[in-house]
Amino acid sequence: MTEEDAIFDASLKKKKKKKKAYDIDAALAESDNLESGLQVDIDMEKKDDDDDGNVDIDLDFTKKKKKKKKPFNMEELEEAALDDNFDLELDFSKTKKKKKKKKDLDELMAEVDEKQDDKENVDDNAVQWLGSDRDYTYDELLNRVFEIMRDKNPDMVAGKKQKFVMRPPQVVRIGTKKTSFANFTEICKTLHRQPKHLLDFLLAELGTSGSVDGNSQLIIKGRFQQKQIENVLRRYIKEYVTCHTCRSPDTILQKDTRLFFLQCETCGSRCSVASIKSGFQAVTSKRAAIRAKTA
Amino acid sequence: MSIQNLNTFDPFADASKGADDDVQDGLVHIRIQQRNGRKTLTTVQGLSSDYDLKKIVRACKKEFACNGTVIEHPEYGEVLQLQGDQRENICQWLTKSGLAKPDQLKVHGF
Repeated sequence: MTEEDAIFDASLKKKKKKKKAYDIDAALAESDNLESGLQVDIDMEKKDDDDDGNVDIDLDFTKKKKKKKKPFNMEELEEAALDDNFDLELDFSKTKKKKKKKKDLDELMAEVDEKQDDKENVDDNAVQWLGSDRDYTYDELLNRVFEIMRDKNPDMVAGKKQKFVMRPPQVVRIGTKKTSFANFTEICKTLHRQPKHLLDFLLAELGTSGSVDGNSQLIIKGRFQQKQIENVLRRYIKEYVTCHTCRSPDTILQKDTRLFFLQCETCGSRCSVASIKSGFQAVTSKRAAIRAKTA
Repeated sequence: MSIQNLNTFDPFADASKGADDDVQDGLVHIRIQQRNGRKTLTTVQGLSSDYDLKKIVRACKKEFACNGTVIEHPEYGEVLQLQGDQRENICQWLTKSGLAKPDQLKVHGF
């Protein structure tokens, strides 16, 4: 762990400079918020995505400061623009980022506390005991393990997770009573799931009926907003797409003796997932109409 | 003086006590359904049959200021039905009153 902290230390000076630069940016963004607020936000987002590794942490740090302003901004925009395609993309990434931020905060706090003694320790820690006869301490061994881990797979430095990026669902109202989910099949393809399975889940969760039409878009009965569909999709991904053990989205859903099994391609784990049940459905349409239909 | 080995020990003490502790077993499904316009309906399925659902619905109606009823379903048993989007309310109320634990509640819908 101390080694890790040391890496953060190295970038500490850079961080401070960076922060200033970004604050200016933020201030600028604020000044012309009303006209081009949306664009600025997206730009910030893009910068985040482009950068990797150490710099990423810096950006997160600055973003934390800005966070208060941002949600407010978003809300305004959402109310203003009804076609919130852009907002949605931001939303997706924003929720993901929150977790990371918290972690960073903790790490930074810890870092500040231990900064002084760490610097002395780390330099000679790794190979200190190689020549000598003495027993190695737990900390040294721990360092060694982390070092080896970092050497072997450079992708997962500091427990960074691979992001699972997805296009947002395009949800359009058709008339007053129906909703169209335009890129339904596309999303099925990106998730590697049968459209029927996702369809079953969506309809069971939303408690309505619907079908896929000729243009391969899903028509759902009832009024639904993009945000709501997104929520349900997120739940679907959590339950039926990401591996329950390693959270990798690289999985296959198989049906085996009436049960669905989720097979992970990354870690090889295999576990059963809950079957889709619509459960109790209350009568919402006119009872007289139902009676007329059945009779 | 008591000899420990001769004490009567009930091996099922834990099991029977556990059953008494929480009557609710299995998930409570809380769903929402859209009605005409912006009206909605909240259904609560899977509450233990040991509870008096009629009393629960009476309390809920008063608490949330909405109407509600208990519906007898051949497959799912007694189902609570409340008018409006009461998902948040019913979750809080069930946990607060100790009828169900938070991990037993499963909220469906958007």
